Amino acid sequence: MGIAVLLKQVPDTTAKISVSGGRVDESAVSKWSMSPYDEYALESALQLKESGGGDLVAITCGPARAVKMLTDAAAVGADSLIHILVEDLSALDSTQVQAILAAAVAHSGSDIVFCGKQAADTNAGSTGPGVAHLMDASCVTMVSEVTPDGGSLMAMRASPNGNERVSVSAPCVFAFDKGIIELRRPNVRGIMMAKKKVAETLGPADLGVDISTSSVSIVGHTPPPQKPPGQKFEGADSVAAVVSKLRDEANVI
Amino acid sequence: MAYEALDFYDIDSLLTDEERMVRDMVRDWVDEKILPNIEKACRDGVFPDEWRVDLGEMGILGAPLKGYGCPGLSYIAYGLICQELERGDSGVRSFASVQGSLAMYPIWDFGSEEQKNHYLPKMTTGEWIGCFGLTEPDYGSNPGDMITRAEDKGDHYLLNGAKMWITNGTIADLAVVWAKLDGVIRGFIVEKNDPGFTAPEMTGKHSLKASVTSELVFQDCKIPKDRMLPHVKGLKGPFSCLNNARFGISWGAVGAAQSCFNSAREYALSRIQFDHPIASFQLVQNKLAWMLREITKAQLLAYHLGKKKDEGTWIPEHISLAKMNNVDIALEIARMARDIHGANGILDEYPVMRHMANLESVKTYEGTHDIHNLILGRHITGIQAFTRES
Repeated sequence: MGIAVLLKQVPDTTAKISVSGGRVDESAVSKWSMSPYDEYALESALQLKESGGGDLVAITCGPARAVKMLTDAAAVGADSLIHILVEDLSALDSTQVQAILAAAVAHSGSDIVFCGKQAADTNAGSTGPGVAHLMDASCVTMVSEVTPDGGSLMAMRASPNGNERVSVSAPCVFAFDKGIIELRRPNVRGIMMAKKKVAETLGPADLGVDISTSSVSIVGHTPPPQKPPGQKFEGADSVAAVVSKLRDEANVI
Repeated sequence: MAYEALDFYDIDSLLTDEERMVRDMVRDWVDEKILPNIEKACRDGVFPDEWRVDLGEMGILGAPLKGYGCPGLSYIAYGLICQELERGDSGVRSFASVQGSLAMYPIWDFGSEEQKNHYLPKMTTGEWIGCFGLTEPDYGSNPGDMITRAEDKGDHYLLNGAKMWITNGTIADLAVVWAKLDGVIRGFIVEKNDPGFTAPEMTGKHSLKASVTSELVFQDCKIPKDRMLPHVKGLKGPFSCLNNARFGISWGAVGAAQSCFNSAREYALSRIQFDHPIASFQLVQNKLAWMLREITKAQLLAYHLGKKKDEGTWIPEHISLAKMNNVDIALEIARMARDIHGANGILDEYPVMRHMANLESVKTYEGTHDIHNLILGRHITGIQAFTRES
């Protein structure tokens, strides 16, 4: 039994995003981080590995800078690293990314896959189910925790009626939502170990995946509209105006 | 907003991946644990025990020491750790400096094999806290004339005397104490429960409020014979420790200065007076440009000194220059940042007044600013000016 965790490097959620020429300007992003939902997946995968679950391989598809994120994963305990080098991830459609990741999982020999429910940049949310489809594997989404359950795995997931426990066997894919777990902090020992874990770098072609034609073309990115400025009222004379606005426009009183 | 450290000359590109990862680990920890809690810790006058546990778990205590479970990082990495900790607060960096450079280092360099095996593994994990007793109430810059004495009583040593201004003293499990045995300065390991040893906390500080500062009092303090550090005699012992701690301070001061610079820049951009952000006024820009200039110079000084430490081509005077300069400019930057913040600068909503008050201590401890000038003066002229007798 091998565990794979699929990670994506995204602009840090606190980084300023600017649009230039109808595209997000990636060169202006000050900080790149592991997508937060992927962090939950990684932590849960580490916990499963520590409870006797086998080797953990961290896989990413992305440009050269993404290897830093893999090293970060190694520092907290990933055993091996696979980097599928694709310089411009935005030129690929979701099915192509799924094909690449599914092929990388097969290449690693893993049959249990952890990933985030969606990436914090594109928010497409298709990777988990898509990879599961290609692997012909069970897929559990909105997962907050995975624990061993005899020969199977028990996943906790949010449902409209409260938490739901789902038992599945490998091959399976878990797509993580925010739960109670947080990715552990690395330590010096882990960082020094990570130095020795060199990522295996492959191209899509090495995995037999053709990425020549994308079925989707992005027309353009635009920044979200600016919020209209707030209104300011001063002095006792404005009370009547404020009350009428709260009652008639905001409908709060 | 994510913290963006001022790095005008891209020192980052000179670091190894390992050094960057260690730096980022500590930086994230400071963001998460120190910054939201430091003002309360200062008000309460405590060093939260949780911070000790975290520092141990991160594995950064005694950073550049090798073996005995210690991290074995480069001196540059040690410097970066100090820089990030002091961006949080000088008191947190002081804790790490004292543990690593002043308590672990002398055991690591001058201790017996048994002492190293006994103490170092538990100190690097933070399980045992150490402190360093050199300064006395009447002997600060002039430790050579210390009064604290050790007597050989056959099957034990007897310590008598008092130390002052000892970081971590009251919370320490062990103290590395320098005392005269037959007129020669020697290092002794005193454990917290040794009879005749007490470590009352000093109160009323306006500086380093989240750091514990204590007296160490020895009244016929009886310690076993195997607690003397066998491999060093004279002032070389404590001075070797101080070299490493001062090296860390030269980086730490950069962190405090970066914090003040960021706060001043942000404040100047958002504060409107006379219809314009004060950052648009020439006098304010002049101050910000001076801060950037001095921080950049201090970073290059610290980095090159780190290189020399790692290569073993340093001399103590190199460290004196960096400690003196970097703390000096950090303090001046803190004062200037307070000025840019106007009245708001005195509030604990901003870090500047806290850094300013902390740096007053940092300027004085570990060799005062003036003593480092005298060390350099002696290096330049060959004439010592510490005392009138030569």
